[in-house]
Amino acid sequence: MTAISPDAPPIQVRGLSKTYKVGFWFNRTVRALQGLDLEVGPGQIYGLLGPNGAGKSTTIKILMNLVRPSGGTALLFGQPVDRAATRRLVGFLPENPAPYEYLTGREFVTLAGQLCGMSGHELDVRVKEVLGAVEMGAAEKLQIRRYSKGMVQRVALAQALVARPKMLILDEPTSGLDPVGRRQMRDLILAERDRGTTVLFCSHIIPDVEALCDRLAVLVGGRLVREGSVRELLSAQVPTVELVVEGLKMDQVKNLGVALESSQSLDGRVLLQVSDSDSQRLLSQVLAAGGRVNSLQAAKFSLEQLFMDALKDSGRTTSVGGEINT
Amino acid sequence: MSAFGAMVWNGFREARRNRVTVVVGAFAAVVLLSSTLVTEVTVATFDRVLTDFGLGMMSLILVFLTIFLSSGLLSREIERRTIFLVVSKPVSRTQFLLARLAGNMLTLAVLMVAMMLIFVSQLLLFQAEVNSVQFIAAAGLWFELLVLTSAGILFSSFAGPAVSAIATTGIYFAGHLANDLFDIARRLDDGAVKSFATALYYMLPNLERMNFRPQATYALPVDAATFLSGMGYGLGWAALFTAAAIFIFERRDFR
Repeated sequence: MTAISPDAPPIQVRGLSKTYKVGFWFNRTVRALQGLDLEVGPGQIYGLLGPNGAGKSTTIKILMNLVRPSGGTALLFGQPVDRAATRRLVGFLPENPAPYEYLTGREFVTLAGQLCGMSGHELDVRVKEVLGAVEMGAAEKLQIRRYSKGMVQRVALAQALVARPKMLILDEPTSGLDPVGRRQMRDLILAERDRGTTVLFCSHIIPDVEALCDRLAVLVGGRLVREGSVRELLSAQVPTVELVVEGLKMDQVKNLGVALESSQSLDGRVLLQVSDSDSQRLLSQVLAAGGRVNSLQAAKFSLEQLFMDALKDSGRTTSVGGEINT
Repeated sequence: MSAFGAMVWNGFREARRNRVTVVVGAFAAVVLLSSTLVTEVTVATFDRVLTDFGLGMMSLILVFLTIFLSSGLLSREIERRTIFLVVSKPVSRTQFLLARLAGNMLTLAVLMVAMMLIFVSQLLLFQAEVNSVQFIAAAGLWFELLVLTSAGILFSSFAGPAVSAIATTGIYFAGHLANDLFDIARRLDDGAVKSFATALYYMLPNLERMNFRPQATYALPVDAATFLSGMGYGLGWAALFTAAAIFIFERRDFR
């Protein structure tokens, strides 16, 4: 068996697929992943974005050996994901983490360290350190059953950090946290990246993804529909301009003969979005038709728009994913 | 402490902090202590009744606890998703399963030692006979609990706690009636039914092979060969159930 190579990409996924068999007789199938290719380089914060059932959590569960793939390969640091020793390099925070409730926070993080082969004074010091980092030092002797959801999230993050992993895999890390907790979580992730840790995380919260990620993959229906650095993806969007027009009705605006990206009526005004190249023509047409332009501004590129475009391009009208076959 | 040792200790700690274990343990102590009341109705068989009642209550209470604990060992971890934070660490699923089994057996061993201490103290208090067969019976009971625990883990590897508990209870009763089943099979005339009953006998663990409580009650000797073959038989069934559980558990998806 080959040794773990710290130089190999932290994550390499090729043609990964997963089909779940569901129903009482397991006679229906749900295709959660279909031929996914991904590569996460060292030191990156890599985001997985997608609607419910897009295959984000399934991808993460395959990487953590919680779910077996139906096809394709998934490697962590060049090694198959089912090799237990590889997971020594990875800290994992699942969605809605469920630590043993009968343990105290300190006992649970200590257990996590022991499972990673740590012991003695080194472990004691490290447990104190990570509990302090997630601001759980004061509650470390309380049983976890007495913790709030945010405290559980913090102690679960502490167990992911305890063995100084080279990579963190975080599934919805900010869910259940208040704004202060969310900010602290984001700071912790950035601090880990600065330490050289690779971070893969998935989230529904687009501002978190936008604020943290170097690279991003958008999954829809188990397929990869966008992938690249956040800057690349945003610059690939067609630049648009927003105009607020008064004095014209929606019908009149639509008859001006300019292709609109979107249009909306608001209290006698009309909000229009048009491509940058068509904006001058629209402006002169509106003025010629007797309308007034209240405001004109370049539309801000956002991941949200990218996400919605990706969803539209894939032919989906709702955010419910997973292809069900009966 | 090694990763395996940490998981075993955690299993023991879980049982120790579980209210059911504590309540059952306290109940066992009360029942064993009150067994002296039963002896009030005896005339000349004081020792026998004390031993029979003491070992019988230990068996009943520990079997109940075994079924309760083992039937949820894996399924509760999967349902509550506590397993996510353990098997995502550098431990194999087989290690996890064996550690859960070992933790459960450690809990049962500690409870059994505590019950034996109460039981022997009573015997000494009433100047009744303490003999080696009583300890052999307790050892046999531990191996019986090992078979039941591994059966519970097997069912728990693919079914929920309720189904696992029902199936393990079925194994317990069928296992103690296995000798009767074999006797019936021998006396049957119908070849097909006889073959079916005999096959059924061999498909179920015969828990009576680990039951030395009657010998303890009547102070009858148990030879080493009988004891060792019974223990070997129990270990064989436990290994079979555990191997099947590992086979299923290694292939499961945790969604």
